[in-house]
Amino acid sequence: MTALPLLLALPFVAALALAALPRLSRTAAALVAGAATLGGLALLGGMAGAVADGEVLRFKLDWLPSLGLAFSLRVDGLAWMFAAIVLGIGALVVLYARWYLADEDPPARFFAMLSLFMGAMLGVTLAGNLLLLVVFWELTSISSFLLIGFWHRRADARAGARMALTITGMGGLCLLAGVLLIGRIAGSFELDVVLAAGEAIRAHALYEPALALVLLGAFTKSAQFPFHSWLPHAMAAPTPVSAYLHSATMVKAGVFLIARLHPALAGSEAWFWMVVPVGLATLVVGAALALVQQDLKGLLAYSTISHLGLITLLFGLDTELAVVAGVFHILNHATFKASLFMAAGIIDHETGSRDFRRLNGLWKHMPVTGALAIVASLAMAGVPLLNGFLSKEMFLAETLATESHALMEFLVPAGALVAGIFAVAYSLRFVHDVFFNGEPVGLDRVPHEPPRFMRVPVEVLVVLCLVVGMFPQHTIGPLLALGVQGVLQGPAPEYKLAIWHGFNLPLALSAIGLVGGVALYFGLQRGINLHRIERASTGKRVFDALVRRLVDLARRVTRALENGSLQRYLLLLVLAAVVLGGAPLLEAGPGFGDPPGTPAGIAGWLALALLVAGVLAVLRWYRERLLAVIAVGVVGLAVSLLFVLLSAPDLALTQLLVEVASVLLILLALRFLPQQSPPERRRGRAWLHGVVAGAFGAGVATAVYAVLTRPTRSISDYFLRTTVPEGGGANAVNVIIVDYRGFDTLGEIAVFGIAGLLLHALLRGRAGVPGTLVPPQPARPAFLLQVSAQVLLPLAIAVSLYLFLRGHNAPGGGFIAGLVLALGVALQALAAGREALGAPDGRTWQAWIAWGLVVATLGGIGSFLFGHPFLTSSTPYVDLPLVGAVPFASATVFDTGVYLVVAGATLLMLAMLARVHAQAGDR
Amino acid sequence: MNALPLWLDAIIAALLVVGAAFALVGAYGLAKLGDFMKRLHGPTKATTLGVGCVLLASLLWFLGTPGTPHGREILIAAFLFVTAPVSGHLLVVAAMRMDQAARPAPTEGRSSTRSVPARDET
Repeated sequence: MTALPLLLALPFVAALALAALPRLSRTAAALVAGAATLGGLALLGGMAGAVADGEVLRFKLDWLPSLGLAFSLRVDGLAWMFAAIVLGIGALVVLYARWYLADEDPPARFFAMLSLFMGAMLGVTLAGNLLLLVVFWELTSISSFLLIGFWHRRADARAGARMALTITGMGGLCLLAGVLLIGRIAGSFELDVVLAAGEAIRAHALYEPALALVLLGAFTKSAQFPFHSWLPHAMAAPTPVSAYLHSATMVKAGVFLIARLHPALAGSEAWFWMVVPVGLATLVVGAALALVQQDLKGLLAYSTISHLGLITLLFGLDTELAVVAGVFHILNHATFKASLFMAAGIIDHETGSRDFRRLNGLWKHMPVTGALAIVASLAMAGVPLLNGFLSKEMFLAETLATESHALMEFLVPAGALVAGIFAVAYSLRFVHDVFFNGEPVGLDRVPHEPPRFMRVPVEVLVVLCLVVGMFPQHTIGPLLALGVQGVLQGPAPEYKLAIWHGFNLPLALSAIGLVGGVALYFGLQRGINLHRIERASTGKRVFDALVRRLVDLARRVTRALENGSLQRYLLLLVLAAVVLGGAPLLEAGPGFGDPPGTPAGIAGWLALALLVAGVLAVLRWYRERLLAVIAVGVVGLAVSLLFVLLSAPDLALTQLLVEVASVLLILLALRFLPQQSPPERRRGRAWLHGVVAGAFGAGVATAVYAVLTRPTRSISDYFLRTTVPEGGGANAVNVIIVDYRGFDTLGEIAVFGIAGLLLHALLRGRAGVPGTLVPPQPARPAFLLQVSAQVLLPLAIAVSLYLFLRGHNAPGGGFIAGLVLALGVALQALAAGREALGAPDGRTWQAWIAWGLVVATLGGIGSFLFGHPFLTSSTPYVDLPLVGAVPFASATVFDTGVYLVVAGATLLMLAMLARVHAQAGDR
Repeated sequence: MNALPLWLDAIIAALLVVGAAFALVGAYGLAKLGDFMKRLHGPTKATTLGVGCVLLASLLWFLGTPGTPHGREILIAAFLFVTAPVSGHLLVVAAMRMDQAARPAPTEGRSSTRSVPARDET
């Protein structure tokens, strides 16, 4: 099956193409998006035969097999039906949007986002793996966010987009958690396995939490009460988006999910009690609120909420016939609601207003649009001979057949009747208030019919409403049967699609609904005048308040943790290290071994004494910052001496260079500070710091002692044995860095580069801290220094290259060589002024960092060429004249990246610090 | 084990002792002498003469020992002779800039000489 991935890929390809060609005209952009949609429809049509025969089409590609995530696609009846809705309505919406967009709207961007959404939605329907489904689910949330916020200069669009993303995004997280639970219960995330494991899932102890989490995802997406309030605010989107996402497809993703997982999750008490009340509440609340809106699209939005509640309720009732009714209503609602939204968009487009209080008597100006809208509204109200009537009849019949607690047996049909009355009333309002009921109020233009092709999609959909309403069995019958088979994962039950079922209770309820609705609307219009109702959205207020509180909380926590005191940060950091490191130490014991000791020798003791003396000196003179820095430097030098004694030349070299570079950096930074640090004011704080530092030191000492007394030959033998044959280098340390743990190194140099860039960001445009600066040096060249630096720089470069090249086999390597180079340049800068440090804005070194990362990554990818995994070294040696055998390994390329990043980041820091001084000196 | 002739051994030992003595004297001077300029003499002697003697000893030892001869000591000495005077010079300049009193007392006829121009306080 290659048609399947192609079908899914088409919209994404279109989105990419449109994003790459931002200057396309409206027609061209619509053509690209439309071609993808029609192509998809053709592919889908090609699958119709197989799917109708009950075949399930599959495509599978392992993605992260260890996590159970596979790129697996699966088309059964339900998926096919939904894909048909997505693509079919999508094609109409593309056509409509071509005429809807204004000149100032960027068309390529709009259609790119629309195609992105279409792809995401197709992914949700076609996904054969639950994790993959969640991925596409989130993608629909994001693309919906982008589309709602399409007019990003409008505050209401931004707020609506944010609200939609927050609510559906949280639902998406719940869904992910629920899916993970289901996957754990069923043993796989593959839809085939999950759907077949219904019994096991329902019997499992984690069934209820899993169900609740999945339903939370579905309810937020399908705007179920009480998560419905994002949908009306999403009406700030351009109308094609509302017609597509917020009536026909995306909000249906929730009910699609409920239908999709029906075989796995439904059929229990918990299912009924979690789904039915929510659906019922949504049905009634949505219908009632729809009546009191003053915005055309607001009314449609609340009506959509109500209809989604209806579908949810049907799936909750959980009989086979209710499933039929639910699937049927998904189809019908998509048709009439999309056409209504498009009609509303036409009205908005031609009058410049969506306000019921201003739109009146449009029948005279746009009779064709009016006729279309009226037919669609009647379908929404459930008037006979239209499609809405058929599914509504089925719905009423199912509510009457509810078998449950007596209270529910009354509440469900009663709620359905009330909602039916409201539905008729708001449909009537949509028709009467817009097209009749007097004259338009204060419009700035005379309304007229829209361009010919803008109306075509509406016409198509309205004709569908009529045809399905009159000849259901021959038009929608097969598609419905497909969908129902897909939901039930089995044969569809016996049902009859007919307009006339004889006189029965559902018909009576329908009639009461019609009459009651008409009476309600005209009664309300006479009695209290619906135009006077001003209603602020409660949901929005609650949402805003919750968000505000959350932000306040976050701010408080941030302020408590991040109060600007470096001592506090250090204290928290060290405390965390003590706790995290100490807990296992106390729990499992340090595990001291009993090996023979190694004689330290007098040199060792001397180095140790030097180290201790350095530490004591820091304690003694810590308030004299300069002295303290020098004493810290002594400690570092003592450590590197110890490394030399213990035969770790790589470490010693690195330590030495890092020590020099950091002392240099700190000395530069010191000039921002007063020469002395203020005395400790509170003794208690000093004691606290002492205790924490003591605990930290004791912990590290214990750990070191434990490591030293354990057998030394644990893994080092392995490295020493394999570095030459497998890594191609005799310097085990370097081979580990660039090959065995190359991924670690890649991360580390990225962090180092980021640190450099951070310093750059912090100091860019800052001209020193007034008042605390030590008077700057006059710019008088130190002649002797200048001369010697000029002699030393080429030497430093040569040494650095030498260290770099020999690094694979002898002490050296990219890190050390980069530091040597950086120090050479730094010395040059000290002597000759900061011009030696490249462009004043640090551009040079930023480029070094960037190129270093690129080269390192390419070096890692290079190993793919030799058929090895990422960052595996492969080592031919090349004999260069004079230098000798040089490893021409992909590891060398990687090490070059390390070299560039280390040198670049170090010099960027130096340059930025020096630059601040230069500016301060200029003042 | 040690195949060095006695006379070479003796020279090396003498060089080491002399070098160590210079280092000791230099350290003592650094600790004991009165003002900055005087104290600066200590470390400079230690680096040039003290380290120089030790380097020479090392060079001789390796010359007398079979194996590939290294030029390391010469390199170290070269670097030392490039850098040590410069750092000493920088120290003096810095000291004079920071503390007027650290300058040599103006001798007759040279009182107006200023090695460092007055700093601009703008």
